[in-house]
Amino acid sequence: MNKAAALFLGLTLPFCLNAQISLGPTVATFGVLGGSTVTNTGSSVVAGNLGVSPGSAITGFPPGTVTGSINSANSLAATAQGELTTAYNLAAGAMSTSGVPANIGGLTLTPGVYTVASSLGLTGTVTLDGQGNPNSQFIFQIGSTLTTASGSSVLLINNAQASHVFWQVGTSATLGTTSSFAGNILALSSITVTTGATLQGRALARNGAVTLDTNTVNAPGFSPPPPPITPAPSSLILITTALMCLGMYQMRDRLLRPFRRG
Amino acid sequence: MFEQWWNEEDMSHGLVVPILIFWVIWRERDRWRALRSQPSAWGFGLLAAGAGLHFAGVLGVGLFAGSVALMISIAGAVLCLGGFPFLRMLAFPFALAAFMLPKLAFVYNQVTLPLQLLASRIAAGLLTLARIGVIREGNILDVGGHRVDVAEACNGIRYLFALGLMAVIFAYVADSKPWMRWALLAAAVPIAILANAVRVAVAGWLPFLDSGFPHAVSGWLIFTLCLAPLILLRELFNKVYVSCQSRA
Repeated sequence: MNKAAALFLGLTLPFCLNAQISLGPTVATFGVLGGSTVTNTGSSVVAGNLGVSPGSAITGFPPGTVTGSINSANSLAATAQGELTTAYNLAAGAMSTSGVPANIGGLTLTPGVYTVASSLGLTGTVTLDGQGNPNSQFIFQIGSTLTTASGSSVLLINNAQASHVFWQVGTSATLGTTSSFAGNILALSSITVTTGATLQGRALARNGAVTLDTNTVNAPGFSPPPPPITPAPSSLILITTALMCLGMYQMRDRLLRPFRRG
Repeated sequence: MFEQWWNEEDMSHGLVVPILIFWVIWRERDRWRALRSQPSAWGFGLLAAGAGLHFAGVLGVGLFAGSVALMISIAGAVLCLGGFPFLRMLAFPFALAAFMLPKLAFVYNQVTLPLQLLASRIAAGLLTLARIGVIREGNILDVGGHRVDVAEACNGIRYLFALGLMAVIFAYVADSKPWMRWALLAAAVPIAILANAVRVAVAGWLPFLDSGFPHAVSGWLIFTLCLAPLILLRELFNKVYVSCQSRA
C-alpha cells in the first residue's frame, strides 16, 4: 500500500508542481503593482490598473495615464498583493526543467521552467516559441536580478502568450532603455523600467518600488471598465425647477418688498 | 402617453404639461366668457381626420400618430361646439401640447447621435479653452486619464425640452407678443446645448461629479443657472422692442 502511494506521488508530483500557474483574478487586472511606491516620469501609459500596497505613494500620474484605476493602499491593491505572493511562491516552487546561461540573448526557448541561480541578463533578442500551443507556459526562476540591455527584446512566436510568461525575480528587475519586454515580472523587491521601454505584461513588485519613465505597459487581456455615463436629470425635475424659478421671478417685486422697506 | 411620461426621463416633463394647459385656460377665463359660440361644420372634418389618423396609429403607425390624432380630435370638437373664436383662443394651449407628444422615434433617432457628438465636441472645446488637457474619442472624453461617456441620456434633449417649455411659458407670462415667444424658444436651443456641454465638461474635469447624486445635483444647478441668460435675453428683446416703438 505504501509502495503504491509512493509510486502515485512520484508520478503525479512533478505534474502538480508544474501545473499551470495563473495570476489571481484581481492581480491580473493590474499592469503595475508596487509594494512601497510607484513612481513615474514622463508620459507613461499603463493599460490596466495601477496600485501600491502596503505602501501608499504613487507619483507621476499625470503626466502618466492609466486606463484602469489607481489604487493606493486600498483593499483592491492589498488583495492583488496577496495574489501576487501566491503566484510568486508557485513560480518559485515549480520544478525546474532546464538551466539557462546568465545571458539568454540569442536563444530560442520552448515552454518550460528555466532556472538561473543568480542574475539573468538579456542582450539582443530571446525568442520564446510556444510550439503552437496558446497555453504554453514559460517560467524563469531567477535567483537575484533580471537586467535587460538597451534595445533588447523578448520575441513571442508560435502562439506564445505574454500572459503565460513568468519572470520570478529573487531581488530586482531592470529593463533597459527602449527595450521591448514581454511577460509578467514577479519581483520580490523593485522593478525599474527605464526610458522608453515597453512591457507587454505586468510589472508586479512585492516589497519594493516600481519606477517608470516614459513607458508603455499593457496588461494582457485587460479591458478597462466602461467610463461612467453622464445623464442629465430627468426633464420633470428640470421643468419643475424652471417653473419655480419663473414663479419667483414673476413675484420678485412682492418677494423683495419687505427687504426694500427695511 | 402617460406611460412614456412616467417611464422615460427624457419625456417626464409631459406630466407637467396638462397642468400648465389647464392653468393657461383658467388664466384666460375672462376672455372665454366674453366669446360667443359660433359652431362650425369644419369641426367634423377635423374629427374625421383625427379618427383616420388614430386608426392608422392602431394599425401600426405608432404612438405619435395616435397622440396627434387625439389633439386633432380635440380641436375638431372645439370647432364643432365653439367655432373658430374658441379655437383661436386655444392656439397657445395647443402649442404647449406639442411638448407632451411622445417622441417621434424617427426624428429622435436621427438627432440623438449628432447631439451626443455636439455635446462631446463643445465640452472638449471648453476644456481645451480652460487649458485642461482632454482627448476626445467620438463621444468619450478622456481628461487626464479620467474618462466619461457622453451616452444617449447625456445628449441634452432633456435640457432642450425643459428649457424650450420654460421659454414658451416665460414668454407667455411675461409678454404677450407672439414673436417674443418664438424668439425665446429659438434662443433656448443654443442655450440648452451649451449648458449641456458645460455639464459634461464639468463631469469630465471633476471626477467626483461624474456619477450618482453629485452628478445629478451639478446637472440641476447648471440648468438653473442657464435660466438666467433666458431672462436676460427677454429683458434685452423687450428693451429693443420698446426703443423701436418709441422711435416709430
